[in-house]
Amino acid sequence: MKRTALTIALGLLATGQAQKVQVPVPIGIALAQTSNTALLGQEQVIGARLAEKHINAHGGIGGTPIKLIFQDAAGDENSAINAFQNLIGKGNVVGIVGPTLSQQAFAADPIAERAKVPVLGPSNTAKGIPQIGDYIARVSAPVAVVAPNAIKQALKLDPKIKKVAVLYAQNDAFSTSETGTFQDAAKAQGLNVATVQKFQTTDTDFTTQVTSVLNADVDLVIISGLAADGGNLVKQLRQLGYKGLIVGGNGLNTSNIFPVCQKYCDGVIIAQAYSPAQPSASNQLFVKEYRAQYKKDPPQFAAQAYAGVQVMVDALKVLDRQKKLAQWDLDDLRAALNKQILAGKYNTPLGELRFDKEGEIMQKEFYVAQIKMKDAKNGTFVFLK
Amino acid sequence: MEPSQLLQNLLNGLAIGSVYAIFALGYTLVFSILGIINFAHGAVFTLGAYFTYTLVVGQFENNGLLKGINLFPNGSPFSGNPWLFALATLLGAALAGLVAVLIERLAFRPMRSRGADPLLALVSSLGVALVVVNLIQLLVGAEIYNFPSDAYGQVQPALSFHVGEKVVIIRTVQLIIFAVSLVMLAILGYVIGRTRVGKALRAVAENPGTASLLGISVDRFILITFFLSGFLGGLAGTLVGTAFGVAGPYFGVTYGLKGLAVIVLGGLGSIPGAVVGGLVIGLAEAFVPSQYSAYKDAVAYALLFVILLVRPQGLLGRAQIQKV
Repeated sequence: MKRTALTIALGLLATGQAQKVQVPVPIGIALAQTSNTALLGQEQVIGARLAEKHINAHGGIGGTPIKLIFQDAAGDENSAINAFQNLIGKGNVVGIVGPTLSQQAFAADPIAERAKVPVLGPSNTAKGIPQIGDYIARVSAPVAVVAPNAIKQALKLDPKIKKVAVLYAQNDAFSTSETGTFQDAAKAQGLNVATVQKFQTTDTDFTTQVTSVLNADVDLVIISGLAADGGNLVKQLRQLGYKGLIVGGNGLNTSNIFPVCQKYCDGVIIAQAYSPAQPSASNQLFVKEYRAQYKKDPPQFAAQAYAGVQVMVDALKVLDRQKKLAQWDLDDLRAALNKQILAGKYNTPLGELRFDKEGEIMQKEFYVAQIKMKDAKNGTFVFLK
Repeated sequence: MEPSQLLQNLLNGLAIGSVYAIFALGYTLVFSILGIINFAHGAVFTLGAYFTYTLVVGQFENNGLLKGINLFPNGSPFSGNPWLFALATLLGAALAGLVAVLIERLAFRPMRSRGADPLLALVSSLGVALVVVNLIQLLVGAEIYNFPSDAYGQVQPALSFHVGEKVVIIRTVQLIIFAVSLVMLAILGYVIGRTRVGKALRAVAENPGTASLLGISVDRFILITFFLSGFLGGLAGTLVGTAFGVAGPYFGVTYGLKGLAVIVLGGLGSIPGAVVGGLVIGLAEAFVPSQYSAYKDAVAYALLFVILLVRPQGLLGRAQIQKV
């Protein structure tokens, strides 16, 4: 009796360990579909869905379709952790693209690391994300690389800039990380950081900060925030009479900012990790598909989520050629996929990209653009060379 | 502090404080009648802004079930001059008032008729708030919507004047908010203090049972209260939306919490208290040094805490007297 029970238990354990990869191949998407962060997350969801549609329309992975399993990671750490746990435990996904925010990544990525499930961060740009673990990589360039270019461009446009005001969202890991880079870059260029102002991503009234900026009599304002708060800040700066140049960080690199600051967006310089004008075939195809559906240029967040799914699928294609995915044990595939992601070279809408051994993105091209508004609601990011 | 800085902070504080006041009045009205906090008030505030935006613009972006809709192919009849915009604002507030009435019917009345604990009604209103906010996102997405700059005609974005050698600047929209808030507070004060409806409302607030015996339809006046509360919340939503943009479905949450602080500070159930509380918190936030302005919410709540230690009934609240 005991022996039979033991045999059954061992049998169950063995089948539990040797779970096969499901078909269609499930890829987890843990992004913000609700909360304030949904403004970014819904763009990412669009990007991921476009990637899924395009990949499956072109034969999937060696004839096997993929299926994106969506879990709402909202805008807080707990929701991200829950989403990751559901995708790993119930969804049996081969890998995860997500979460939306850096601070969520610091909380949720260790869950995937312990379960040995590869993660691609689509928009986590804070310092230290790839170092969370062996299974964590990102397709979003760290701010340290992107931000300084914008200050150099501002100095090209106005060489007389001497005094700078820096404003940042202190409750956002990405913004606090980015502002440090901006401040170092400004000092490295010999500029005097006259005032540093903090705000919260949930703030709407920036009168206090703007008044201080005006009193400091600066030539350049640098903002690290997200589209809602950053756009509002731009608007209030202009309405209250600030006339100098404004540099916006990566969080402002979205067409969602246009309806926020409207005509006041005009002239804002943005450091970009993605540009719709990037000429690669992969990007132009993505831009065409996005425009056809949404009648505007794709924002960076959509492009990065698209790239995240594409990188995972391209790596899976290599593994599929070794052995059909349906024949892999799930745990083995997850481990092999993680290795393959780091080994490959990818042509994505972000341009050509690879990863270093820690999972840090090595992106070939970065851009600086200036916003040109066509009317109250529509604008474009014009390349600055 | 220099006189110019003092005046600048004072103007900033009065502008935002008057919004807090008008928003908190909605909370106070319901509390004074039913003795409960309506947590859905923040969602009604958000709805007010969205209703006005729908009337003034009539188009929504790419996410949500209403994407691509265009209510006014030939341009909105409510856009282009300040009076039409004001009309849209009042209509938006009225629609928000109707939603508040609906919330009363769905979330509060069933609880009241069963004699449920007030705490259940509070939780029920919290549930309604979450449903409303998520419904907004489902319909129009999480985008930030901004009223077009020409929606209320050609208005100078800001006014400036000198105080000594320094310039004091205030956005025109802040002045409008302050003026509208003052007018609304005066109207409400008149309605509550000088009209038959106001008398009936005060009677219901004092003692619903006695009011009912005097022939006052308690349920009807509770509905009127909710309508007024929703109207004020919706109006505050549009005012804030005009000044700072309609910052997504969740943008009423912060104001909801702040409004709560305002009515506790002013004194639960006190209408003048809501006004004073709103202005005190607005001014406290404005006088936080700019380099620490990200902590202005913390300062507002710390102030609330300190004042409650000294006056547990709030600034203008009445102390509870227990007869033994």
